[in-house]
Amino acid sequence: MGRTVEGMQKPPPDLARLMMRVAKRDRAAFAELYSATSAKLYGVTLRILNQREIADEVLQEVYVKIWERAGDFDAAQGSPISWMAAIARNRALDELRRKRSFVQDSAAEVLEVPDPAILPSEAAERSEDYRRVERCLDRLEPDRRDMVRLAYLEGWSREQLSIRFDAPVATIKTWLHRSLIKLRDCLGQ
Amino acid sequence: MTERDDIDLTAAEFALGTLDADERRSVVERRRADPGLDRAIAAWENRLAPLLDEVAPVEPPSRLFAEIERRVEVSEGLGATAPGPLATATVIALERQVSRWRGLAYGSMALAAMLLVALGVVTGWSRYGVKGTETFVAVFQKDDAQPAFLMSVDLATREVTIRAVTADRKVGKAYQLWIVAEPFGPKPHSLGLLDSDLGPTRKRLSDLEPAVLQKATFGISEEPPGGSPTGQPTGRAIHGTLHQASP
Repeated sequence: MGRTVEGMQKPPPDLARLMMRVAKRDRAAFAELYSATSAKLYGVTLRILNQREIADEVLQEVYVKIWERAGDFDAAQGSPISWMAAIARNRALDELRRKRSFVQDSAAEVLEVPDPAILPSEAAERSEDYRRVERCLDRLEPDRRDMVRLAYLEGWSREQLSIRFDAPVATIKTWLHRSLIKLRDCLGQ
Repeated sequence: MTERDDIDLTAAEFALGTLDADERRSVVERRRADPGLDRAIAAWENRLAPLLDEVAPVEPPSRLFAEIERRVEVSEGLGATAPGPLATATVIALERQVSRWRGLAYGSMALAAMLLVALGVVTGWSRYGVKGTETFVAVFQKDDAQPAFLMSVDLATREVTIRAVTADRKVGKAYQLWIVAEPFGPKPHSLGLLDSDLGPTRKRLSDLEPAVLQKATFGISEEPPGGSPTGQPTGRAIHGTLHQASP
């Protein structure tokens, strides 16, 4: 936020067009789409999974899925990168939750996890859309804001949040719901 | 709270990522039948996506894209017409395997719906070294037209990957993978459910010797959500078998 001037970082202008070509089974377009987006999706996946081997596998599955589902992408419903990121996050979260059902998180483990989410990385590009969401997040209490970030960016479960914020799981759920509603109303979409 | 608020909060928590594994599965199942929920999830995904600007991009290992392309070729249906590692592909109906499954503990309903077994033999996997034949592909075929599922087995890692080709996602149904192999006796043994979203499913069968794996028969059946309640296939099943490919 300390920065005053930032070029509006537009997504590469041809992502939507590339998606259309990929939907028509254009392998060259798929390769272009991959090189334009894979670092972003890998970053997102790695942040949630924290293990390169697993993130590597997940990323491969994500792109095969993107190839297979490109025809389902609807530009009226959102941007290509949001659609692709949703596929990546969902796949990463499924992997994370599946693991978690076997290995319970210990309290100590969760409490010791460093939280880069709370301090937004300065290195990443910021868009106008980002600033809108950030302004709305800033209206939440700091704890609630951190919860949303930890959940969305790091894949934290309610149980993990419950340990970290020292509140029952049901309370965490209520807080998350209230925060999400405030966020939605603030964003006005 | 109205029903609509409820749907929106479910969508919001799904997009945020805080649902547990069971809740996530149930939402994925519900959104297929509920366009309202599907739209609400898409809206939330779009609302939250700008936050991903906080995540610094990380270059993935350069080898990944070649592997993705290989999988895309497999997903495209054996790649028979495409150049690349899949040099030749043949699909053979194996009546013998059908009769083998008939001998198993199946209900007569499932028997009536018994589908043709087809098998794809793939040669020329040069990337697997001198033997060149450690990866196999089986086709699970509903009719003569197109395969429903495609399975590849890497004997080196004993990893099985199943992809839906023409199979449809079905509301209130799950696809379950079975194996008939010596160590499990004559009855099908469950290898678990396939990805409910019909994305690729990977199973590592580290307990099975490659020789056993090669001789095994695989089946995919339609089951209630959560899988077969009896521990045996209860629904319509399609089958595939792996054979040794000649290099």
